[in-house]
Amino acid sequence: MDTSLVIDNNMPNITIEDLWAEVDFNPNISQRAAILHTDGPLFLTAGPGSGKTRVLLWRTVNLIVFREIKPEEIFLSTFTEKAAHQLKEGLRALLGLVTNHNGRPYDISKMYVGTVHSLCQKMIADRRLSEDRRRSAAPVLLDELSQYFHFYHPRQFQSLMESAEIPDVESINAFFGDLYQGQGSASRHQAVMNCISLFNRFSEECLDCTEADLRTNDEMLKRLLKMYGAYLQSLAPPGKPAQVDFSLLQQKAFEVLERFNGSGHVFRHVIIDEYQDTNAIQEKIFFKLADGHQNLCVVGDDDQALYRFRGATVENFVQFPQRVEQHWERQPTKIPLSINYRSRKAIVDFYTAFIERCDWCHEDGGGHYRIVDKNINAHSTDDRLSVVASTQADSSDACAEIARLVRQLIDDGKVQDPNQIAFLYPSLTSALVQRMKTALEQVDLLVYAPRAGRFLEVEEAVAVFGLYLMIFGKPKKGDFSSRGYDEFHAWMDNCLETAKAILKRDKQFARYVSERQAEIETVLSDYQALLSVVEKNGWQLADVYDIDKMKRKLFDAPGLSAAAKKTISSSYFDNVVKRRIEEGNPFTLNYVLTSATSLDWSVLDLFYRFCGFDHFKQMFDLAEKGKDEGPVANLAMITQYLARFMDEYSPVLTAGFLTDEKFKRSFFASYTYALFRRGETENEDADQPFPKGRIPFLTIHQSKGLEFPVVVLGNPSKRDRGPQFAEKTIRPLIDREGEPLERTSEFDIMRMFYVALSRAKNLLVIAHPKGRGISRPHTHIAAALDATFPRIPNLDLEIIPAAKPEDDDSPRNYSYTGDYLLFQKCPRQYMIFRKYGFVEASSQTQVFGSLVHKTIEDLHHLLIAHRERARVNQ
Amino acid sequence: MTDVDKVRGKLPETDAEIETFLRDAFEENYETLKLEGGQALTPYAREMAFEQVLKYWQKLREIAEKVTDTEVKLTLPEQTTAQGRKYAIEGIVDIVREDERTIMYDIKTHDADYVRANKELYDKQLNVYAYIWQSLRGQPLDETAIIATAFPNTLREAMGRKDERLIEREMERWNPLVEIPLEQRNVAETIDEFGAVVDLIEDKVFAPPPVSRLQEKVSGTGSIFARQVCRNCDARYSCTSYRNYAAVASGSRIEFKFSQFFGDLGSDAERTERIAVNLEFAPPPESVDDVAP
Repeated sequence: MDTSLVIDNNMPNITIEDLWAEVDFNPNISQRAAILHTDGPLFLTAGPGSGKTRVLLWRTVNLIVFREIKPEEIFLSTFTEKAAHQLKEGLRALLGLVTNHNGRPYDISKMYVGTVHSLCQKMIADRRLSEDRRRSAAPVLLDELSQYFHFYHPRQFQSLMESAEIPDVESINAFFGDLYQGQGSASRHQAVMNCISLFNRFSEECLDCTEADLRTNDEMLKRLLKMYGAYLQSLAPPGKPAQVDFSLLQQKAFEVLERFNGSGHVFRHVIIDEYQDTNAIQEKIFFKLADGHQNLCVVGDDDQALYRFRGATVENFVQFPQRVEQHWERQPTKIPLSINYRSRKAIVDFYTAFIERCDWCHEDGGGHYRIVDKNINAHSTDDRLSVVASTQADSSDACAEIARLVRQLIDDGKVQDPNQIAFLYPSLTSALVQRMKTALEQVDLLVYAPRAGRFLEVEEAVAVFGLYLMIFGKPKKGDFSSRGYDEFHAWMDNCLETAKAILKRDKQFARYVSERQAEIETVLSDYQALLSVVEKNGWQLADVYDIDKMKRKLFDAPGLSAAAKKTISSSYFDNVVKRRIEEGNPFTLNYVLTSATSLDWSVLDLFYRFCGFDHFKQMFDLAEKGKDEGPVANLAMITQYLARFMDEYSPVLTAGFLTDEKFKRSFFASYTYALFRRGETENEDADQPFPKGRIPFLTIHQSKGLEFPVVVLGNPSKRDRGPQFAEKTIRPLIDREGEPLERTSEFDIMRMFYVALSRAKNLLVIAHPKGRGISRPHTHIAAALDATFPRIPNLDLEIIPAAKPEDDDSPRNYSYTGDYLLFQKCPRQYMIFRKYGFVEASSQTQVFGSLVHKTIEDLHHLLIAHRERARVNQ
Repeated sequence: MTDVDKVRGKLPETDAEIETFLRDAFEENYETLKLEGGQALTPYAREMAFEQVLKYWQKLREIAEKVTDTEVKLTLPEQTTAQGRKYAIEGIVDIVREDERTIMYDIKTHDADYVRANKELYDKQLNVYAYIWQSLRGQPLDETAIIATAFPNTLREAMGRKDERLIEREMERWNPLVEIPLEQRNVAETIDEFGAVVDLIEDKVFAPPPVSRLQEKVSGTGSIFARQVCRNCDARYSCTSYRNYAAVASGSRIEFKFSQFFGDLGSDAERTERIAVNLEFAPPPESVDDVAP
């Protein structure tokens, strides 16, 4: 134990410089200025690898420790929950350090740190933001998948269309340009996706439907505006708690701020990270929150703006000085963080030159669509070769050359683990991805591509769903045909084949599966047997269950299984029945039938039993030894989807649910199909750390905020499809001067590649394939890759520095109960449920504990309030 | 937020109002947790969790009404493992300050008999917490105790039967409060052990305990580890240790009774209860029209 922890109350005051010295941090001039800045709006432009996170961390420490700002007076928004988590951990560690010196505890649990969405939720329930200190009732939040299902439900979608006089799904899809044989596609899924993307955009722009309606002559757009109105209404059904989607949640929070006069004074400091990816409603919220103290600090890099498709407007950042001027008639302090500590010099020079190849000038020559005076420089003076391209060759040769290089880098110890080499792609669905994966496998290297293609197509998902299809049967394929529908059926067939192959190798597994099939047959026939007793006696299913009159007859139903007999005759069950009669809430006959013919297991119970057979057990064995985490990480994800199904539909498999294909239609044809068609693109945040022993394949979007010793840009081409549909549609409906519509896609592509190129620390490799079906590299990359550009054979591996082991030096926080005790009880259980987040089928201890604790905390708060009142009244 | 902030304008006061308040808070917390962690609880587990909150309030009202600081986060920062990794230890406690006395409570969703039988384990934990509270934070402390909110089997059975008189009797007999002697010995050793676990976690050493451990009795429970811990673990089917234990237990080294091993779905009462609660709160769709094609 560190004895320096023992407290000394006579300790002299410390300075922030003392703390920097203690953790060996040597901020440069701009970092220092940014950390110590405390007054008025601050515009922090932060280039790649410029130590932004550290600056934010220390800036907050400075505010809390040396400026005596209470943590609950700080609003700090991050782009992901993970970033928020890291920031909190870092803060706790640094503040703990301060406590060691001055003995003062710092409690940041009430500080606002999180994504905009989570902070909006918090604001809605925050009594400080309301006139009479009442808390507004929090709306139920629909996450993306729930929002999707809200629309997707056939009756719901039909009624939304009807209220807007939209005749059919086809006309919606035709409007969005989704055609099938020249007509609007008949896919409800497609129509739902289209509506969601447009409606979310409407919400983020706080669109006034009446006004928007006047601005357009397009009949279909007018109807869609109406349908949007109907959607908003459908979220607040009478007598039920209101629901909001992610976009509307922000609107709701903004309404709370607007209603309350003092909302600009609750937070003394408002700090927004990744400001280039904020949208219109978020900007409104931030300016409102900071209106009183005007301490609004925005941090970002317009060159790394990636999320226009989610409604982000990079202009919020680029034009921040003008917006501050408009709101508060003053100028923000501007501090550029321009020194790159991440990459070797040639890498920095390469991507800096790249972004400048595009013409960013305003058409009228007055200014730029980009912040041009950033002057990004490498801290590294190592200007030896660190950017190479593959020899221009046929794509499989190019992949093979890159694979050999990667193998060599690993063998020579240039990286500590294959997970330090990342392959980045504009999209993971291109043929090049598959070719590269094959080439790596040929040199015995494994790939981790969590979001490559569909998650449901990973081996583990195919096997698990194949087994479910074996047990429950495949739903019938309807007459109708569409690409998605056909693909889904082909996928199910493939799942079935895979499952069959697994069962062929494992007799016990096959026996297990056939026993489950038999069990389903049994509950179905029991159900029929009981139904005929009901019919014969002229009872109705809605009748109250009468033990004396009905029990014996049901028990004697011809052909009834022993299991069902047991339920019907159990004295435990009789007691429950009697109690319900006493309570005046008796069971119906239907309930008795249902519970006697329900399966004892859920789909999740079944999943865990599958895992007991060798095919899956091996995956756990590998993870236990720390050898390969990929497969268990996928299995964990499957449990989350299964739990989601149980939550959306029901956890119980009743005979009624299993008849008429209801279960099959819910589980496969509806739920799984929706997952299948949605793909996995909704989740852009990569899980980290990446599994050991595997090479991560990521989309460039997923690589945002990350860095790797070696980066391979696996596909340097991206077709410019012009402006996005939602962007085109919304522009005429709102007043905003922004980047010219026709140039948005060009700019977006530049920024995307800029992000990719700036992730590399020691070596950046650019694939340069050619051949049939291979698109040319992006113009401005191609311009660099001329005849003189260094190729892989020119690279001397000697000059590449070896990567440090996971140089994650931020201390981790471990909970005594949640980590230490759990690990001590069983390391394997810890790994499965705590580390990988498998959802438990029965005991569910993780969420359970948090839920109990949080609610007891609420109870304590209430009781404390009681006492406070009593005290005041005295 | 200040302490009263979580509470709506007019404070719920009567028992019925407080129960409604708890139900609302519980549901809201559930929604939030589901959103943050993406994990849903089955209705059965959810009801069980709510019962623990409710019974805590009913049984330990006197303590609950005295809590002055709730869910206080304790942090022991800047620790270093034997392998040189930096880490911090975290814990959460509730504090009662009353008439110059300060008592620290650690609320756990464990069962009290288990806590009593494994007091050494809990001693260590509360002593680390006490160390952080007294030495790092410089706060006074007079007593520490565990509040174990999980129900003893007898109470659980009574609740399962919904027999009010029996429940009342079992509530009387239940003692969820376990006092832990306040003595700051062994704190350094405990922290070292903690550091060793951190190294194992970061090195990804996750093998299950050996079969011999599974066969050992867990003190305070009257049953062995395999029954006490493993049987509540969904991952037991794929666990080498548990399989070996099951093989030995069924008298055969390699072949063991598969149907028995995989067909283990809890006691009859548990199964009936689970289905009943799930059917009540989340019945499957009844009409074909409710399931999208």
